[in-house]
Amino acid sequence: MPARSRPFRQCLAIVAVSLVILATACSAPNKLLVLEWSGYEAEDFWTDFKTANPEAAVTFEIGSSDADVLGKMEQGSQADIFHFYTGWQQFYVDAGLVKEIDTSKLTNWDKVPESFKALGRVDGKQYYLPWDWGFTSILYNTDHVPEVTSWDILFDDTYAEHISMWDDGPGAVTVSSYIHGWDEEAITDAQLAQAEQEWKDQKALNLHYWTDEYADLCPEVKSGDIWVAYAWQGCYADALYDGSQPIAYATPVEGRNSWVGLYGISSKTANYDLALEFLDMKLATLTCSNAVTLFYYGCANQEVMDAIEDPVLIEAFGIDDPSIIESTNFTPPVTDAQRTAWTEMWGRVKAE
Amino acid sequence: MTAGMRGVRRDAIGVGHTRLPLGLIYAAMLAFLYLPIVLLAVFSFNANTSLSFPLRGFTLDWYGQVLDDPALLAAARNSLVVATVAATAATALGFAVSVAVLRFRFAGRRLLLALAAAPLVVPFVVLGVALFLLFNIFGVPRSLLTVALGHSIVALPYASLILLSRIVGLDPALEDAAMDLGASYPTTLRRVLLPLVGPSLLAAWLTSFIVSFDEVALANFLAGGDPTFPVFLYGQLRFAGRLPVLIAMAVLLMTGTIILTLIANRLRTRSQ
Amino acid sequence: MLGRRGSLRFLAVPPFAWLIVLFVAPLLLAILISFRAERGPIDFGSLLQASTVQYEKIVGTPSWLRLLATSAGMALLVAALATLFAFPIAYFLAFRARDRAPIFLILLLVPAATSFLLRVMAWKVLLGGSGAINSFLIWIGVIQDPIGLLLYSQAAVVITLIYVWIPFAALPIYAALQRVDRSHLEAAADLGAGPWSRFWRVTVALSLPGVLATLFMVFIPTVGEYVTPFLVGGTDGFMYGLLIQDFFSRAGNWPLGSALAVIMLLVTVALVAVALRVVDLRRAVA
Repeated sequence: MPARSRPFRQCLAIVAVSLVILATACSAPNKLLVLEWSGYEAEDFWTDFKTANPEAAVTFEIGSSDADVLGKMEQGSQADIFHFYTGWQQFYVDAGLVKEIDTSKLTNWDKVPESFKALGRVDGKQYYLPWDWGFTSILYNTDHVPEVTSWDILFDDTYAEHISMWDDGPGAVTVSSYIHGWDEEAITDAQLAQAEQEWKDQKALNLHYWTDEYADLCPEVKSGDIWVAYAWQGCYADALYDGSQPIAYATPVEGRNSWVGLYGISSKTANYDLALEFLDMKLATLTCSNAVTLFYYGCANQEVMDAIEDPVLIEAFGIDDPSIIESTNFTPPVTDAQRTAWTEMWGRVKAE
Repeated sequence: MTAGMRGVRRDAIGVGHTRLPLGLIYAAMLAFLYLPIVLLAVFSFNANTSLSFPLRGFTLDWYGQVLDDPALLAAARNSLVVATVAATAATALGFAVSVAVLRFRFAGRRLLLALAAAPLVVPFVVLGVALFLLFNIFGVPRSLLTVALGHSIVALPYASLILLSRIVGLDPALEDAAMDLGASYPTTLRRVLLPLVGPSLLAAWLTSFIVSFDEVALANFLAGGDPTFPVFLYGQLRFAGRLPVLIAMAVLLMTGTIILTLIANRLRTRSQ
Repeated sequence: MLGRRGSLRFLAVPPFAWLIVLFVAPLLLAILISFRAERGPIDFGSLLQASTVQYEKIVGTPSWLRLLATSAGMALLVAALATLFAFPIAYFLAFRARDRAPIFLILLLVPAATSFLLRVMAWKVLLGGSGAINSFLIWIGVIQDPIGLLLYSQAAVVITLIYVWIPFAALPIYAALQRVDRSHLEAAADLGAGPWSRFWRVTVALSLPGVLATLFMVFIPTVGEYVTPFLVGGTDGFMYGLLIQDFFSRAGNWPLGSALAVIMLLVTVALVAVALRVVDLRRAVA
């Protein structure tokens, strides 16, 4: 046999053995596979569960967007638990991918405000557990931008090359719907065409579109290269802590947007009780506070939110100003057809 | 008419005799390649969590934290294992393809060549999704192994092209001579061809290793619960304070890779 | 004792099998997916209900087709320049470094093993609007406003790609140059060739397989490149590969993404086929 294939055959043998070991390992009883977003696999975000179940083996698969998470779950991901954001609740229920949550077994459930619980309900049944949440609004540098009253500042050519919009079609359509007063759940073809043209004209005003908050947006906000941005409050808190640029977070007249992260248990899971405990422990004090202090995102445990004393975080979440929440628009559910139309629209905007 | 008669100096005919400062060109290229690395190394000792000037002070804290972070070390180890397996597979297969295509005539010869180069045309994400679906159909659990398999495919064209370029320039008469002396073909390959293509094998292996090591699109779809280093890195970037630790790890990995490949090269030349 | 003929099986079968299972099969699957009308779970019964909706969409969107042409053009530029700049590096490795070439080669390639993302972050510190280079140039008075060209532009994408490719581009050329040796050049000199002529007609000619391999190796994947335009392209440096990536990962629209990829595949293969014809033609004429 040629010399080259002898080590090759050995490799093949090792590979076959590893496959067998891996296959058996995957069906052990105290293992959980979580389909998570990049960064959330850090132990800080499930530390209470880890303390309560030190022998449990939790591993993570990464999903890169809500569409990606749905796609993987639809195509047979082995995940026991998955994490996604508001607007997508109906899809998992319709596809039979999610199992109801038995809230009687959750020890932290009573600390969750009713409005958050409601977001996790579909057809009257509690399918999802709310966890992280935040605002979307306009972040701006007060040295260069005196005041922001409306979302349409993103289209203001006074700030050309210092604007940054999030690289997301549905996000762009949402902004257009706020500015023009359209019904987000019933965007017509004519309205979509108008939005498309406006965003094509807006493209040149951006320094670039941003995709990842901490890698893309925050450094350039702090260095003063970006003066106006569609942003979540994470970079706001980050900039306040950093202090090198004077940054403010607007409350536009059309209202801010708010999003909530939800966890669901796969209908195919073999470890329902363990998964339920994992979800419960997500709301535990330390885990929840870590989301607040490490990512600057809100957490659904109201006690944790009430206990915040850091002035930067109080400012970032607008805790002292109840009028903010009153004018906030929550992300509504959107149909598959609409979402496809909006993402294709964005593909045309980017290619122009 | 001989060169002597035309006044051409014999010693001026050589390979590599040009007036171009080749060494300088190489050094300049190296400088450009290492500039961001040097910058990263500088920041890895900088007492600041953001990448900016002015520098704030020397510290070894970040390197200390690397050793304290089991998840980081595990991700680095995962990538090293995956890249080694993928590179070895791709190089071995690339060598097999090159020899088969250049030294034999058989039906399907051109097809093999085209197939070996074809993964270049397909975007990683397409291959990732398709392999993901395929593994699902056949119930193959996703793991570092499936990532390595995917990587071996995308690295194969690079290994093949490098080895093809080398072997096309080797005279088959050398191999024929060895066989005339009684060697079997496998022995001929091992003792005549392999030593001659040594540096190209190294180049092919290293290229395949690099293609695998920093690859994210396939890893996102084909990995099970264990992250590779670039996937892990991307996740950690969300933590403002972790950046220098990640940079320290990247610098360590690069230094380690240089040392290991220099050692491997030493062993290779020793055994010749 | 295994003879020559018998060895062919062991050389040709493993790569064929590997490629068929891990490449051809998934590729066929991707092509089937491109004929679906909507995104959604793929069950294998419905795979056979073909629809050309995605292809019609693409053909009806001129900006996407123009993007493909632009991306191919950028890829050609990158391939040509990377090959050109790589040639002296390969020459150095083959003829100056010679036996110590592997070490120089390792030094050249290893930076590429460091995370591309981190390297680009480091470059952004240098090239960005408030980065070191612009700050320095403004400080010494050469410019008033920061140069936007260095980052978030088409030029930034092309320059970055050339920079990334040069070490790899040098490899097939280096591999090919190894068959040039003194006797070839002496023979040419004996026939009356001067130094430039010897270089062109011996060295370059013998390196041609490597040069061609490099051109293809760089051009083909660069058409579908997405990481570099993603990191440094901004709104102007958008490339077709990023469009595909967006539809797969951000929109979860696998049918449209696959259809875009199939079209890119067909165009690239067509371009390569044409190029091979041209090359063969030249060889026939020369």
